[in-house]
Amino acid sequence: MIAHFLLAWRLLQRDWHAGELKILALSLLIAVASITSIGMFTQRIDRAMTDQAGQFLGADLILRSPRPLDEKFIDQAKRDNLNVSKMIGFSSVVVANETFQLTHVKAVDQYYPLLSQVKISRDLLAEEQSVNYGPPPGEIWLVSRAFNLLGIKVGDQIELGESRLKVTAVLKHDPGRASSFMAIAPRLLMNLQDVDKTGIVQPGSRVTYMAGFSGRLDDRKKFEKWLSPRLSASQKLIGGSEGSQALNSAMIKAQRYLALASMLSVMLSGIAIAMTANRYGQRHFDQSALMRCMGASQKTVIQIFSLQLMIIGALGSLVGCIVGFVTQEALVVVLKEFLSPDLPAPGFYPVLTGFVSGFVTLAGFSLPALLRLKSVPPLRVLRKDITPLPVSAWFVYGIAMSSIILLMWWQSGDLQLTMLVIVGVIFSVLILFLLSLLLMIVSRFLLSRTGALILGPWKSGLQQIVRHQKENQLQMLAFGLSLMILMTIFLLRTDLLSRWQGQLPEDAPNHFVINIQPYEVDAVNQFFISNNIKSEDLYPMVRGRISAINDVPVLEAVPDKSKLDEALKRELNLSWAVEMQSTSRLLEGRWWHVSDSGKPFISVEKGLAVRLGIGIGDTLSFKIADRSIRAEIISLRSVQWDSFQPNFYVIFPLGVIETFPVSYISSFYIDKKDKKLLNQLIAEFPTLTVLEVDAIMDQVKSMVEQVSTAVEYVMLFVLFAGMMVLVASMQSSMDERVHTAVMMRTLGAKKSFLLKSQLSEFGMLGLFSGLLAVSGTEMIAYMLYTRVFNLEFELHTGLWLSGPLVSMLLILLISRFYTKKVTRQSPLRVLRYS
Amino acid sequence: MLDILNGVELEIKSAETVAIVGASGSGKSTLLGLLAGLDLPSKGDVILAGQKLSELDEDGRASLRGDEVGFVFQSFQLLPSLTALENVMLPLELQSKSSAESDAIELLQRVGLGERLHHYPRQLSGGEQQRVAIARAFVTQPKILFADEPTGNLDKKTSGYIIDLLFEMNREKNTTLVIVTHDDNLAQKCDRCLLLENGVLN
Repeated sequence: MIAHFLLAWRLLQRDWHAGELKILALSLLIAVASITSIGMFTQRIDRAMTDQAGQFLGADLILRSPRPLDEKFIDQAKRDNLNVSKMIGFSSVVVANETFQLTHVKAVDQYYPLLSQVKISRDLLAEEQSVNYGPPPGEIWLVSRAFNLLGIKVGDQIELGESRLKVTAVLKHDPGRASSFMAIAPRLLMNLQDVDKTGIVQPGSRVTYMAGFSGRLDDRKKFEKWLSPRLSASQKLIGGSEGSQALNSAMIKAQRYLALASMLSVMLSGIAIAMTANRYGQRHFDQSALMRCMGASQKTVIQIFSLQLMIIGALGSLVGCIVGFVTQEALVVVLKEFLSPDLPAPGFYPVLTGFVSGFVTLAGFSLPALLRLKSVPPLRVLRKDITPLPVSAWFVYGIAMSSIILLMWWQSGDLQLTMLVIVGVIFSVLILFLLSLLLMIVSRFLLSRTGALILGPWKSGLQQIVRHQKENQLQMLAFGLSLMILMTIFLLRTDLLSRWQGQLPEDAPNHFVINIQPYEVDAVNQFFISNNIKSEDLYPMVRGRISAINDVPVLEAVPDKSKLDEALKRELNLSWAVEMQSTSRLLEGRWWHVSDSGKPFISVEKGLAVRLGIGIGDTLSFKIADRSIRAEIISLRSVQWDSFQPNFYVIFPLGVIETFPVSYISSFYIDKKDKKLLNQLIAEFPTLTVLEVDAIMDQVKSMVEQVSTAVEYVMLFVLFAGMMVLVASMQSSMDERVHTAVMMRTLGAKKSFLLKSQLSEFGMLGLFSGLLAVSGTEMIAYMLYTRVFNLEFELHTGLWLSGPLVSMLLILLISRFYTKKVTRQSPLRVLRYS
Repeated sequence: MLDILNGVELEIKSAETVAIVGASGSGKSTLLGLLAGLDLPSKGDVILAGQKLSELDEDGRASLRGDEVGFVFQSFQLLPSLTALENVMLPLELQSKSSAESDAIELLQRVGLGERLHHYPRQLSGGEQQRVAIARAFVTQPKILFADEPTGNLDKKTSGYIIDLLFEMNREKNTTLVIVTHDDNLAQKCDRCLLLENGVLN
């Protein structure tokens, strides 16, 4: 075995200059580099996003408990090298100027915030500033509307329980509050050391005890694993990724898109490897026959060629991983202004993925060629016409396709997306094949009817296309397929993202306002209008908790995995409406008619319905204040959570819940320079609660920027892989082209004639391949837009114009190298050695 | 169904030189392929170096060839991506012989190509390529050497040189030599000359 390995290595070194092995290795390198760099980058972004999402919570992990926290938890966290910050949350009345006001109090220790910063201003109208600490002992920070409610200013003292504390800043933003919009009472931030002095927190008080943890991912995971089994049912550990539903939605879309891009890169490289391996195998028929003549067994022949491929696989994968690492590092440098300064380092998993993918791709696509070498009869040394029987096409494509599917599934982690892409590609190949047949028919017609008009080299080029129909169809399919994949990526990057970003317009709502009383609705609307504030409608909101499903207590009725669902732990925002919101889509059932007013119907958000295992016809019972109501589900909706408009899990028709205590909610847009309008709003309507979601919007947009840049970077690998397919395709037809050119020159054709002939052939191949590619791209795009990303599809006329042109230019550019090689060959040498 | 060979009975003794001549398409290469174990007859048998070929599978015949047989071809059959030295080393490397390089150098020097070790086939003339092929054929010290039209692609002068070289080395190595040829000059140098006509050997 070692002797065969050394022989394989020597033969590999000697064979390197022939060309196929370079193309094989380079294709493999591109595939592995693509997978590795995407894997590493995604992993780093994923880790960073989790960290950034932790900004909303003020920590990577938050532990909430209705009872004081066991000190063992804190001690363990410290042993696991985590930073810890303790907090307490409770509601309490503050008094100032003989005015009482309920507030939501958060008392924090000296380590708060572990992540992100607190934003305050030293006066109501002063500039905002960011600090990385909470109020010192003896001081409190209050949200601006509380100042109006209490009639105080910065520097005044207020009473909180049994203590008097000085108000030293206006609280603008404190990490850890974005997880709930429903903290209706104005927020107050105080120092944990002052809590005892207030006398408010007593055994039996309604208090939430919290601890925040931050540190390295591995340490957090270790701590989480230790902590989770020790928590009681009422204690909850919240991770960074739970910061916002909007962020989750954006993250999932981004990861799917990157997974898709890397899958297409694998497919392209696989095509290039298959074509190159096939040619490599054919060129080694003689070598195989000769080796058999010299005494090598079939096993030895296969061993030697397999070892050569394994060496290429190992070296190609190794270099590919290094290139992948270097290029993703370069990308991090390029994108540094968008990324966290301390982007987490990549782990080993992407390298393992790269290696495994490299070997699987190589084996899957080169195995059929290898198997043919085994069957070369030694008699070929005397009779060159003897070639091994081709391996069954079903077997060949079966192996290759299975390898692709498995790799793609592994990469994307999404079987549905994988199968959609595979089916799309197979379907596209079939369509491309039929279109290419049509092309041949048209070409033959042109030659027979308009031959006199197509003079000189152009006729020769077209004749070449028609004369070698099968080979040219194959090349067209190869060019077309690789270009189609490139175009699909380009389309998705530009069009998909622009549509997705179109869902987040520049002036999308960046504030929510809640707790608008019914008698304030008109006045609030008027405020928005007179101040030119772009706002959504004011939606009614009733707070209610789901108590039963089909008259069965809810915790008994839902599946086990849903018992801890957020929607069951807290009160939901219920609303009523005549029409369905424009951002929602009816998925099942029917929306109500005017005649349904007063009937106990509800429309439920699809995601909630799936989680709770409910559907059309089921009934939900709600506890609202001290009353109950029961309603039947007559429709399920999709809700666009990342639209930043008021959205509701459950909606009633008119005339059902209006008698319950109601407040109104809306969202609106205020430019940064007009932020002072907020204070005016609060001053006019002191009971409103305004939530600033600018920060969330900035995060989402920043992530979209990052993702789209990463995708462009991914596209480079797909482009290179596509070029390798073109090169492999040209290389496979090289021998015949050289021989034909040489014969023509021997018979008197000039070099310029040959050049034009080659250019016309490649130009036409490029044009038709481009047309085939655009057709396939539109088909795949249709399926992806409508089935996967839930967007509307439109034909892309720009692509129909630019696609074929780009295809022609690309193929002419790549063919130039080969064209020169063909026309510069010495006829004598070729004829002598053919 | 076509009978290429018909009732061929042939015995070749050790160290004998035999020429098989005949018109184009008479079945000479087919006969050579059968004698060398590259193919099996549809009827009858071939005993090569004391071994019945029909009793061996393809790998068995390959092993026998590796131990006992050398080949020289009309089209030289050198691997274009290997140098002269590497082409001659190949049979020994397949047998995992550690002396492959030194043995190959010795033989290339013997055929007068000691200065061309690292040249590729495309850099050698036809005669030089055939000399490399002859060196390769003898490097495993075969008992039998089969040559299929060894001078078929060479001019008269070069042919003469190659024929002399072939027979010189044959005498040195005491090899049995079976040559398929059109060349009368070459045929006359052999101990026996057999004519293949209409599938029958005379």
